[in-house]
Amino acid sequence: MEDLIYDPDDLIVALATPWGEGALGIIRTSGNGCIEVLAEMFSRPKALSNAEGHRMVYGKLLSEKGGEAVDEVVLGVYRNPKSYTGQDMVEISCHGSLPGLNGILQSLRKAGFRDAGPGEFTLRAFLNRKMDLTRAEAVNEIVTSKSRRAHTLALHRLSGSIEERINTAKETLTRFMSSLAIQLDYPEDEEDSGIPMETESLYAAKNKLEELLKTYRIGRIFQEGVRVALAGRTNSGKSSLFNLFLKEDRSIVSDIHGTTRDYIESWVTIRGIPVSLYDTAGLRESEHPVEVEGIRRSGQIIQTAQLVLYLVDSCEGLVDEDREYLKNHNCIGIWNKTDLEGSAPAPEGFIPVSVLSGQGFHLLEEEIGNRLLGTAAPDSGAVIDSGRQKDLLEKAVEALALVDQGLGLGVPIDAVALDVKDALDALGEITGEVTSADILNTMFGNFCVGK
Amino acid sequence: MDFDAIVIGGGHAGIEGSLATARIGFRTLLITQSLDAIGRLSCNPAIGGLSKGNIVREVDALGGQMGKLIDATMIQFRILNRRRGPAVQAPRAQADKFLYNQLAKETVEKQENLFVFQDTVIDLLLNTEGTEIRGVITERGSRYTAKRVVLTTGTFMEGKIFIGEYSTFSGRLGEPAAIGLGTNLRRMGFRLGRMKTGTPARVARSSLDLSKMEEQPGDEEALPFSFSNDTINRPQVSCYITYTNDRTHEVIRKNMDRSPLYSGTIEGVGPRYCPSLEDKVVKFPERSRHQIFVEPEGFESEEMYLNGISSSLPEEVQLDFLRTISGLERVEVMRPGYAVEYDFLDPRQLYPSLETKRIRGLYVAGQTNGTSGYEEAAGQGLMAGINAARSLQGKEPLILSRAEAYTGVLIDDLVTLGTEEPYRMFTSRAEYRLSLRHDSADKRLLNKGYETGLQSEEARERLERKVGEIEEVKELLRKRTLKERDLSAIGGDFHKQIGTKQIGKSLIQIIKIPEIHISDFTAILPELEEAHHHVLTQAELDVKYEGYIQRQERQICRFQKMEKVRIPDDFDYDTLEGISSESREKLREIRPLSVGQASRISGVRNSDIAILMVFLGRKRVPG
Repeated sequence: MEDLIYDPDDLIVALATPWGEGALGIIRTSGNGCIEVLAEMFSRPKALSNAEGHRMVYGKLLSEKGGEAVDEVVLGVYRNPKSYTGQDMVEISCHGSLPGLNGILQSLRKAGFRDAGPGEFTLRAFLNRKMDLTRAEAVNEIVTSKSRRAHTLALHRLSGSIEERINTAKETLTRFMSSLAIQLDYPEDEEDSGIPMETESLYAAKNKLEELLKTYRIGRIFQEGVRVALAGRTNSGKSSLFNLFLKEDRSIVSDIHGTTRDYIESWVTIRGIPVSLYDTAGLRESEHPVEVEGIRRSGQIIQTAQLVLYLVDSCEGLVDEDREYLKNHNCIGIWNKTDLEGSAPAPEGFIPVSVLSGQGFHLLEEEIGNRLLGTAAPDSGAVIDSGRQKDLLEKAVEALALVDQGLGLGVPIDAVALDVKDALDALGEITGEVTSADILNTMFGNFCVGK
Repeated sequence: MDFDAIVIGGGHAGIEGSLATARIGFRTLLITQSLDAIGRLSCNPAIGGLSKGNIVREVDALGGQMGKLIDATMIQFRILNRRRGPAVQAPRAQADKFLYNQLAKETVEKQENLFVFQDTVIDLLLNTEGTEIRGVITERGSRYTAKRVVLTTGTFMEGKIFIGEYSTFSGRLGEPAAIGLGTNLRRMGFRLGRMKTGTPARVARSSLDLSKMEEQPGDEEALPFSFSNDTINRPQVSCYITYTNDRTHEVIRKNMDRSPLYSGTIEGVGPRYCPSLEDKVVKFPERSRHQIFVEPEGFESEEMYLNGISSSLPEEVQLDFLRTISGLERVEVMRPGYAVEYDFLDPRQLYPSLETKRIRGLYVAGQTNGTSGYEEAAGQGLMAGINAARSLQGKEPLILSRAEAYTGVLIDDLVTLGTEEPYRMFTSRAEYRLSLRHDSADKRLLNKGYETGLQSEEARERLERKVGEIEEVKELLRKRTLKERDLSAIGGDFHKQIGTKQIGKSLIQIIKIPEIHISDFTAILPELEEAHHHVLTQAELDVKYEGYIQRQERQICRFQKMEKVRIPDDFDYDTLEGISSESREKLREIRPLSVGQASRISGVRNSDIAILMVFLGRKRVPG
């Protein structure tokens, strides 16, 4: 049990503004030394490291030391003890786009920051006497709020099965440690001291953890949402579909080509997945400068979208431009206006929809869900959603890879056991704890040893 | 005051405890029930073993006696687990138990400041409030006053032995128990329990057919336990291995109703890791045989110890089942096996210094704390002695951490978790075992021994020399690259299998290959021949396990963060609102010294530890 979840000396990071598109995003970091660490990845390192407390510093945040710029930012510098947490803090004001925020968070993690636990900034504030602590229960709630969060929404269903899976892996590792313990605790000349090690089960556990790690993408999809863009030639019905998703008249809908000259964005939920949906300007040759700019920007949106819904007017049929587009993007082809006379039957791979009547809409939703989540849909099992879980799982998998490597090289088991312990500790941090007493108990329960 | 310190009991804990207080400079009295039994090896005639051998070397590094005693009296030496990794290797030696006992007695007798007296302590003298120790009262009514008392009663406190239907109040066969002390400790408010352990029969060597057994000789070269000895020059003898069989088990099954273990007369809890033969037969019915190590009890003695088959069945049944065993068909028993039940004090009533929380100045060590084993006793006895002396000096106690010594793991486990069965050290109990190798005990602890006053300046210089030599050897290996012509000089498998691919690399890189040993290079690097065995071994291990050692150090850093958050001794857990009542109860009882220790108490929740940290944080002076 030597590892507490909240080590106040760690550098921590969290997004302070809601997860979503906005003009601005604020990312908060805390931990003594965080100013120096950030200065290493800042375009003006000296300006930052020499900045006094309560000052703003403008510059570019780099992906790593000497790396490329991730975003233009304004850093709010707070120096220990004059800050919210009582430690050095930097608040990063950046552009509020999801990919941008993600990029910054990833760079920070690489630089040694870890995702803050719930209430961790506040806990640090308490620890450093920055906040009057009237009732200890409040802290207890903060500390346990992780499980309360788990009660919300789909996460409830998901985290239960994560715990189950991690516990299964933990049991396997504990059993493995027990078989190691026999070798550690009884000399080789004693009978029974050479119990074969269940290395196969260890590798199986590693594979399972790796699978779980892969679900992180899905976890993030549920937590952060995905970008889905509507595309198609003008007047293919993009804005109508957009509105159908919104179930409200937010875009201006008309039958004049090129009405949506820029793009419009809104958050909708499709099959439980938060989707940032973009209605883009229609693709066509235009000379109107505003419209040209709109099309250019729409093009950018479409480039960064994880999925494009490409509409084709079934009365007009496919043209080369459509085929070209569909080939080059991650698209779902939508065969629109199937309710109209003169509508041609849908070619293979297209989903026939009438945006006007709503016919085929459910099929479309289903297809979007399948495409976003892929084969490892959350119904098939657990999904990890937090960066902390992901970090710890990665640590466990890395440690097990070292075990694999060590055993392969013929490294003695007492040294290898150290990496098994690292893996167990990482898993223990996600769910609960494993102590050496547990290992001994398992050992005595299963084997006849001793004299 | 008659004495600065009184140590009750002359076993392995009492020897270390009394020598420590006397050597640090305090007038000490060692009271024991029998002068002739000082340092007696009541059970197995051996010192060391996995993790226990590490403790012996830790005791030695700190300035204790056990390593020196066994070095002078061993009759067989082995490094266990040579084929396994470095963290699980350990020295073990068969002792001439009569010589060991004699040397232990002479050592304490000759120690300056130490007085040895034969009597039985049955009660303690306290101040009027009952909160501080003042001395002891003996069976014959004598009173001796002292500022500190170390209690090391072994199996003698209310001890009772069992052989079949026979039982008597003894701590060891033929030696009377100390009756009354346990009752008096209970009256003072201490929580005591009963534990049980057992020992096998001793049999006459001349009645055995050793030719039917597998011979187990010692290592060719016997190595010293003590860092102060360079070599061991003593004759070595062999042990022998044989097995029980179905007929043995049949005899035991038929007579099970006559075993005090199964008839309900013994209430104490026995060790799971060291079951009696009765237990083995009942719990593992599918096993057709159990291993027996036949070990000589002395170089000249006829007595042989039957390691692995302790029993408390009636004497005639013991003889019956022994005679079913290969090589023991005509065995003559010299002393029967027996079980012994005794009082122990729940060690959660102690601070990590081994001082009781209830009575200031009273220290408890060894089997009295629920442990088993000579080495575990010695480690605790030494720490209790050191800390009794340090408290007389007005100094902070010496507390070894889990990351620096098996002795630290042992004491931390005892005072934090208590124990349900006789506690034996196991390698797997230590989280940081790669750092707790037996060969590094001096590096870890010798300077601490020096600070307490138990190690000499000379010992410190010897350590510095050794550390320097290890670095020199590494430097030699670093500078020397493997050349083509070296291959034939090295010869053997190296030449064919590995060597050719390594040409041009430095020797220090090549040693990282598991099959390669530093000794392979003596042919091409003659300077290595001059270095001491210990120096070469340590240099090799340092290089071979470099990555692992670094990862272990990172684990230790994480561990130490929580250990460094101290909890004041007078911390009032009642002011800690919002924690579970179970956690509060346990924290109040254990009174952990650090948040790290608190987090190891079983049943204390993580979130409650966080609240504790919050409160400690508030008390911290800002800045």
